[in-house]
Amino acid sequence: MIAEVPHIRLGVDIGGTFTDIVLRRADGTTAVRKVSSTTADYAQAIVSGLGELLAAEGLAAGAIGEIVHGTTVATNAILEGNGARTGLLTTKGFRDILEIRRLRYPQLYNLDWEKPVPLVRRRLRLEVDERMDHRGQVVRPLDMASAEASLDEAVVRGAESLAICFLHSYANPAHEQQVAELVRRKYPGLYLSVSSDILPQIKEYERTSTAVANAYIMPLIDRYLASLAGELATIGVETPILVMQSNGGVMSAEAARRQPVHIVESGPAAGAIAAAALARTCGYGNLIALDMGGTTAKASIVEGGELSRAPEYEVGSGISIGSRLNRGAGYLLGVPAIDIAEVGAGGGSIIWLDRAGAPQVGPQSAGAVPGPLCYDTGGSEPTLTDANLLLGYLNPRYLAGGALKLNYRRARDIFQRKVAEKLGLTTEEAAYGAHRIGSASMTRAVRAVSIERGRDPRDFALLAFGGSGPLHAAEVARTLDICRVIVPPAPGLFSAYGLLSADIEYHFLRTYLRRTADLTYGELESVWCEMARRAGETMAGDGFPDVEMRQFADLRYAGQSFELTVPADGRKIGELEEAFSQEHERTYGHRALNDPVELVNLRLVVQALPSRAAQPAHAVIAAAGASGEAVRPAYFGAPYGTLPTPVLGRRDLGCGQRRGPLIIEEYDATAVVPPGCVACLDEHCNILIEVGDRGE
Amino acid sequence: MHIDPITLELINHSLACIADEMALTTVRASYSSNLKGSMDLSAALCDRHGELIVQGLTLPMHLGSIPDAIEAIKCKFGGSINPGDMFILNDPFDGGTHLPDIYLLKPVFVDGGLVAYACSIAHHSDIGGKVAGGNGCDATEIYQEGLRIPPLKLYDGGVPNEAITEILERNVRVPVQVMGDLRAQLAACHVGERSLLGLVSRYGAAGFERYTAELLDYTERLARQAIRALPDGTYSFTDYLDDDGIDPGPFPITVAVTVEGDSLRADFTGTALQVKGGINSPIPFTKSATYACVRCLMDPHIPNNAGFFRPIEVVAPPGTLVNPVLPAAVAARGLTGFRIANVVMGALAQAAPDRIPAAEVGGDTGVSIGGYYADRRPFVFLEFLLASWGGRPNKDGIDGNSSVVVNFSNNPVEVIEAEQPLRIEQYGFVPDSGGPGKYRGGLALVRDYRFLGGEATLQIRSDRRVGLPYGLAGGRPGTPSLNILNPDGENRVLPAKPSLTIHHGDVYRHILAGAGGHGDRLERDPARVLEDVLDEKITPAYALREYGVVIGPEAGALDEARTKRERRRRASKAAGR
Repeated sequence: MIAEVPHIRLGVDIGGTFTDIVLRRADGTTAVRKVSSTTADYAQAIVSGLGELLAAEGLAAGAIGEIVHGTTVATNAILEGNGARTGLLTTKGFRDILEIRRLRYPQLYNLDWEKPVPLVRRRLRLEVDERMDHRGQVVRPLDMASAEASLDEAVVRGAESLAICFLHSYANPAHEQQVAELVRRKYPGLYLSVSSDILPQIKEYERTSTAVANAYIMPLIDRYLASLAGELATIGVETPILVMQSNGGVMSAEAARRQPVHIVESGPAAGAIAAAALARTCGYGNLIALDMGGTTAKASIVEGGELSRAPEYEVGSGISIGSRLNRGAGYLLGVPAIDIAEVGAGGGSIIWLDRAGAPQVGPQSAGAVPGPLCYDTGGSEPTLTDANLLLGYLNPRYLAGGALKLNYRRARDIFQRKVAEKLGLTTEEAAYGAHRIGSASMTRAVRAVSIERGRDPRDFALLAFGGSGPLHAAEVARTLDICRVIVPPAPGLFSAYGLLSADIEYHFLRTYLRRTADLTYGELESVWCEMARRAGETMAGDGFPDVEMRQFADLRYAGQSFELTVPADGRKIGELEEAFSQEHERTYGHRALNDPVELVNLRLVVQALPSRAAQPAHAVIAAAGASGEAVRPAYFGAPYGTLPTPVLGRRDLGCGQRRGPLIIEEYDATAVVPPGCVACLDEHCNILIEVGDRGE
Repeated sequence: MHIDPITLELINHSLACIADEMALTTVRASYSSNLKGSMDLSAALCDRHGELIVQGLTLPMHLGSIPDAIEAIKCKFGGSINPGDMFILNDPFDGGTHLPDIYLLKPVFVDGGLVAYACSIAHHSDIGGKVAGGNGCDATEIYQEGLRIPPLKLYDGGVPNEAITEILERNVRVPVQVMGDLRAQLAACHVGERSLLGLVSRYGAAGFERYTAELLDYTERLARQAIRALPDGTYSFTDYLDDDGIDPGPFPITVAVTVEGDSLRADFTGTALQVKGGINSPIPFTKSATYACVRCLMDPHIPNNAGFFRPIEVVAPPGTLVNPVLPAAVAARGLTGFRIANVVMGALAQAAPDRIPAAEVGGDTGVSIGGYYADRRPFVFLEFLLASWGGRPNKDGIDGNSSVVVNFSNNPVEVIEAEQPLRIEQYGFVPDSGGPGKYRGGLALVRDYRFLGGEATLQIRSDRRVGLPYGLAGGRPGTPSLNILNPDGENRVLPAKPSLTIHHGDVYRHILAGAGGHGDRLERDPARVLEDVLDEKITPAYALREYGVVIGPEAGALDEARTKRERRRRASKAAGR
């Protein structure tokens, strides 16, 4: 029997400023809610927002079949350094593996370079007397007394979460597992991450770093997801929760609690998945996705409908997370992720003057609390949202369809006093300057995924979403000579829609280092079977009995250290060798006829059925029906100054072309079409803005 | 022609991407630990005149040598550089820097016109000669160091010259590794050419030339700006190499750095004459080390091309350690390159005392273990060990970081053990080893190798046992390096640059030097001393002896009153002297 996708599904996307909820019924109709995030306890906003949404739609809590969740809780913990106090047990003689790293540093010639502080301090890294070799043979038996002494010491020194990583545990996990048993028996309350469970892959630093990151965020994620489930239960929602992974697939909350290292880039991934889905369904092959919320702006790239993914990445490495040659800027995670660049610029970014009196925007954010000046919720610093309000871009009275009242006068008075007067500018001039500086920051994220990867942004359209993206997109596009901006329907909730089009996908890997010549098909088959059995059990345990599995193999010439991955479904050994040699020739321009081929890793990608990807990625809205036009003054800088600007709804745009200036106001976001640009709707109800010159 | 700033920046980044892609290709396709693990390689593109338009973020120490390699090609092949050609060389007296570094240079043509060169440099794990690994210190002339390859066409109009590869294959101990690594270099040039053609097709050969020329000029302007910001004057510094493996030292390396307006001259007059052992540094290498150091005073984001070394002049008298002439042995010149960097940094510290760190512990140490398995199959293991940065004017040196001038990676222990008859039994920090100072020097590292084969030659290139990594502004030097055989048995201390036979079960331990400290150690914040004690990076006894900081009586707590008294006592004692 094939399970059906549950009838009512929820996408819940938490950002630093807003929590977005999208509800989709079986007939494809949707309802949405945008509420302020509750940073002290994120679950609160979800529960109250969902409660309101259900009431408004007249739905019972029991009707919800599935919740898909994207969250930045894990990444924030690593970036802000407030994860668990973590201990690490290593093989004797290798206590410093985590801190030495790979020695290389990313900022050549920078004498001020600071290496990231290790997630486990040296005092909490303790050694255990044991040793395996690369074949998994025991060189020194595990000394349980030394393991127990180090474990006790880690606990005495305050560890609340523990990682275990011994040398060659990918080849034989026995010692790690025996110590893990001891931990579970003696300290059942201690959170535990075992490297051979998390990344059974050769290379000790990479495996250690991944296991440690997992341990570091595990208590936080565990408590967070438990509290979310508990609070949802109080309003009668007891349906399974799925969590977006960094690679764009989703996993069960149970799996995320065991291996939170997979959900570190959960939040940004949702937007990227939505962008790729839109590129495919609407026929835009090449897109740069710009997702700008209240706190950060994120860029990712879609080429030929596909996202760019990295098999491992560094979290917290700043903007160029995808630099493959020079690593060391962040914390290495040996799990796949979508290539995303992020900068600290969002609607909540604070506008300030540096010591030289020059205006700056971000990276500090007022977030949802205390919030921009115009929210009047305690914020005392001017933000980008305030500047956009004073420019006339945002509705002077309210946001979110009236749910959020704005205090225009308060924003104007404080902005004047703190920024405009000090710069000797009019309020509009100063606000316009801030608008352009904020756009310049976002431009950096776009550049990081395009120009810095050798791709010309002029070959791409800019897909702008998030609450603030459509306000700044035309300005960003102009700076980079991008001709077209696309604003999807419900842009402020776009990432939450993306959650609903992601598949449930788990990745399993096993290092199985053998020369292909020494390998028989029967042996290979039995390894695949064993992997498939365990993968099936894990998936079934998480509630996904029906799955589709795809096999991949990492191979190389004996002597090389880096592998090429080839599809391996049903392939015999000779076929694998040939597929590898072809791939080698394609990649490097030659094949080594006489050199033996080595198998390194077997990979199993398992997807739960039925697939969710077929569902539309974005809001389906009717193109007909006008909501009526208004006009308000908006400022566009020299040579235009203040212009009476038509304010309309998306549907008013119709199919004809309208010249800027225009402001398109919607429930969840506002798009600005500056003078010199032209806007229209495509057949999918996306706003297309053809960007012209500034007119200077 | 109008220069569009976005196009300029796009070409700049595209060039950097191509060079990085070439470097990554070499790493991924290569066979030897020194390439795929340590990343002892470079990738670069030059314009049709041979000016470096980009180097991948690989090895600063190779950077300045590439134009000299192309010059050697142009000198010999001037009128006959054709599509489908690929040049090879390694001769340190004709475009190279030492024999194991093989240069491949591929001219790239568009519509029959030369537009650029794609260049790959890789340190091969063997090139023949007396000892495996090509880094021996015990040769006394280049003829003992291995195969010398003059500038030759490895491919002539697309036709491979198999004589060259066959001779190379017969002259190295590990032909499978060397030929595999050479193919990785070919792959890098192939990838470089492919991507470069894509870039040129977009802007046209003329546009490409115009923009790359502007890129060099732009970089030169930024470089001159940075030099102009330094006070005019001459700044001298001398540091030493302990010995050359043949004769006792010390051998001084002296530099006088003169800043005059927007240009800088580094004059090595006064440096020791060339020596018998293989530590002589050919002039391209001396220039590279100097450029890399001066580059540290510029904005880290300026493009990595020849524009930045246009304002820098290097003067090195022929026949010296820093500009040797035939028949000097040069295999272990890497060591001298690090010391040249130490010396140039020491001189620059006088011009920019608020920016330059105390002496780092770079890649002085090279370890080569080579021999044959019972079935006569050869093995060669080669790696360089790096440790830590010196204390800086405003912060501690970094514990465990590659050198400013090489940026090598370490080799994964698990990979070494899977491929070589070796077991790494220890790899970690050495407590109490960083030079004391207000800002502490980075810690030394220790690495133990247990040999699991029958018999092998162990060859070590190390230094800093007598002349220690210097401190600055009153900071103290780091601890010395050391080689020990069988620390838990005979515990024999080995010389700094030995070649010796080892047997099954022998353990070789190398302890690197500790990096230098910066500033007065009595001014170090006692809270930071305590943190180091808690992390067991220093012992409580050392905290008291070096920093006058009293820990205890309660374990892990600072005794502030006694620390104050102790530091006052030392300060007055020092003042009384």
